[in-house]
Amino acid sequence: MRPPPAHSLVNRLIALTLLLLVFAGSLGLGAVWFRQEISQTANRNRTLAGKLADIERRLDEVNAQVAAAVNPDALLRQNEVMRLGLAAPREIQVVRVAGSAELRLASKRNLEAFSVAATSAAARNDLSFRVVTASLR
Amino acid sequence: MSRGFANNRMTLLAVGVIACFMGVAVRLVFLSVVDREELIRFVDRARRQIVIEHARRGTILDTHGNLLATSRSEITVAVDPWALDEYLSIEKNPAKRARRAAEESVKRARLAGLLGLPTATIEQAFTPALRAIKPADDKRDGKVDGLTKDRWVKVREGVDEPTFDKIAGLNIRGVTSERVYRRVYPGGGLAAHVIGYLNKEGTPVCGAESHLDLYLKGQDGWIESEKDGARRELAQFRSREVTVSDGNDVVLTIDSVVQHIIEEELKDLASKYSPNFATIIATDPMTGAILGLANYPSFDLNNYSKAPLESQRNYAVTDRVEPGSTFKIVAAGAALNEGIVTPFTSLDCGISSIDYKGRTIRLPKEDEPFGRLSVADIVAHSSNRGAAQLAMLLGEQRFYDYARSYGFGQSTFYPLGGEVRGTLAPPAQWDGLTISRMPMGHSVDATPLQIHMAMSAVANGGVLLRPEIIKEIRDPAGRVIRVFPPEKRNQVLRPGTAALLAQLLTGVVREGTAKGFDIPGFEIAGKTGTTQKLVDGKYSSTHHVASFVGFFPASRPEVVLSVIVDDARVPGGIAYGRVVAAPAFHHIAEQLIQYLEIKPVTPATRSFLAMQGGVR
Repeated sequence: MRPPPAHSLVNRLIALTLLLLVFAGSLGLGAVWFRQEISQTANRNRTLAGKLADIERRLDEVNAQVAAAVNPDALLRQNEVMRLGLAAPREIQVVRVAGSAELRLASKRNLEAFSVAATSAAARNDLSFRVVTASLR
Repeated sequence: MSRGFANNRMTLLAVGVIACFMGVAVRLVFLSVVDREELIRFVDRARRQIVIEHARRGTILDTHGNLLATSRSEITVAVDPWALDEYLSIEKNPAKRARRAAEESVKRARLAGLLGLPTATIEQAFTPALRAIKPADDKRDGKVDGLTKDRWVKVREGVDEPTFDKIAGLNIRGVTSERVYRRVYPGGGLAAHVIGYLNKEGTPVCGAESHLDLYLKGQDGWIESEKDGARRELAQFRSREVTVSDGNDVVLTIDSVVQHIIEEELKDLASKYSPNFATIIATDPMTGAILGLANYPSFDLNNYSKAPLESQRNYAVTDRVEPGSTFKIVAAGAALNEGIVTPFTSLDCGISSIDYKGRTIRLPKEDEPFGRLSVADIVAHSSNRGAAQLAMLLGEQRFYDYARSYGFGQSTFYPLGGEVRGTLAPPAQWDGLTISRMPMGHSVDATPLQIHMAMSAVANGGVLLRPEIIKEIRDPAGRVIRVFPPEKRNQVLRPGTAALLAQLLTGVVREGTAKGFDIPGFEIAGKTGTTQKLVDGKYSSTHHVASFVGFFPASRPEVVLSVIVDDARVPGGIAYGRVVAAPAFHHIAEQLIQYLEIKPVTPATRSFLAMQGGVR
């Protein structure tokens, strides 16, 4: 078998070298692009962290303002300024309901409803309208 | 061209290339080895930076989560007058320079408006000036004359963020700023002695700010990175980073509304009686949680620097008073607990002296003459002689042991520190009269909080608790990381005895020394106290400590309340506990009943329309 000609070997070597250069170049460019991306992402993160800190700072500011506005002294001042006349109840004004308020109100409502129903039934012919309550449905 | 010439040329080229490489190599050796340290130092100085990230100090909240102390950013606005000067001098065209100067002048006038300062002040700040520095440090401007350009002229401190946004929007040449965090107290003076404050240097001075600093302060973080020519951080070159850890939030047991109620009452007391000092404390008897603690005089936390030092004292724990008749709960409780007497046992309170251990002892005077009184009446009418006889029935040592067990003469372990122990001498140091005087609250002194906690032990079934002011600690995300449960110190009385004594104490407002200050249905139990103050070593007849310490409802205690007023000035009269302190107690109790929705013990017998569901 004949050995390949010398120039063919040189050509192959040059081609391989070029390929290597392209590969190395691509790697280099890739690394640069990669580093650039890292830089941009890092700086974006820094900006976002700065914005977050800024928002938290403003939130603290608002919270402090809200707290100052709703403290008892400030509310009482507002009550006076706005002439609302709001006052804490006194014991004499308070009616404490023993037992279940719901049951008591329900029985009162039922009493009302049944008496209205009875009245309606007695004077059905006289009334131009009829009172309809939940108990009559 | 001959082969020899070509060979020479190749050799020459090779030598040239090698020489170049050698040159580069030598330079590299110099850069990397010989000058390495100096160059690295230069680069470090020029590019590397360490950015400190300050931890945000935790907030202090009341029991319902209302802010009592928080941190707010404020901006210090300053001016670099030379920056404006340099900006204008860059422009060589006189017309353009004049236009730029005019534009900047208009902006400065707006700046003055935003900062609320006269335009002249701003113009003065923008006038370039030199300042003296140490000649050793004078290398900044190339000349060593002990002068340098003043590039930081402070214009205004404490500018809020919205105002600073407007200032930044003006884009004024030479305006610089520094952001600082300042502690703000939204309630102003609310719970001032409990919260404490941070001074201008950021050092916690007293109260929760100081004692809970470990929880509140957090941990600063830092970032090691590089900066560009404009001093902006190059985030991609961050090499080391210690993350910032913000401070934890502290939740106190204080209730802002309760605190406000007692502070308002203190203001009233102060305006009526101009006392030396006054203290009001409200706690939950079952946990020892302090719902409110206030002193007169007090101060505004946001203006602490203007407050005199006396107003910054937490009198509830730093000052001692003789407890007076409020101390009678010791003798009465101990005698009942030991089974020596019952509420119906009667003692002769009309006698002026009594034989005790072979000696005749003069009994203390009474405010009004009494005959034989039952133990219940001794408590209700605050008989000094009755209390003395109860103590004598117990004996010195047993009486002393009970007084200790009530917490007198020892720290209450108030969590925010600064308290004094009070004085309770052991029997070995007593003179012949002490057994008759101590039961009425003389020869002993205690802080208002000690007196309060002693009464609290009667209210909660005989248990002496540690006063609690810290409810819990929360991390910055709001998770509870530590809770502070009630701490029992010791059992003073059996529960049955404590309940019995509580019922006897209701007699004080029903028929005793504070008659008329009952609230129907709410069983006010309490004890008045009127102590003559020691002035120049003698008991004064004009200076008194007035107190009312009690709780309600007696059979189901929900609040323990103490009102202690030192040296109240009552026009034409004596500052009795029933005159000064009992009305304040009554007024506060009325409000607390509504606010805390305390239900009456005795049911209402009145027929109300509301119970029927309203008018038909």
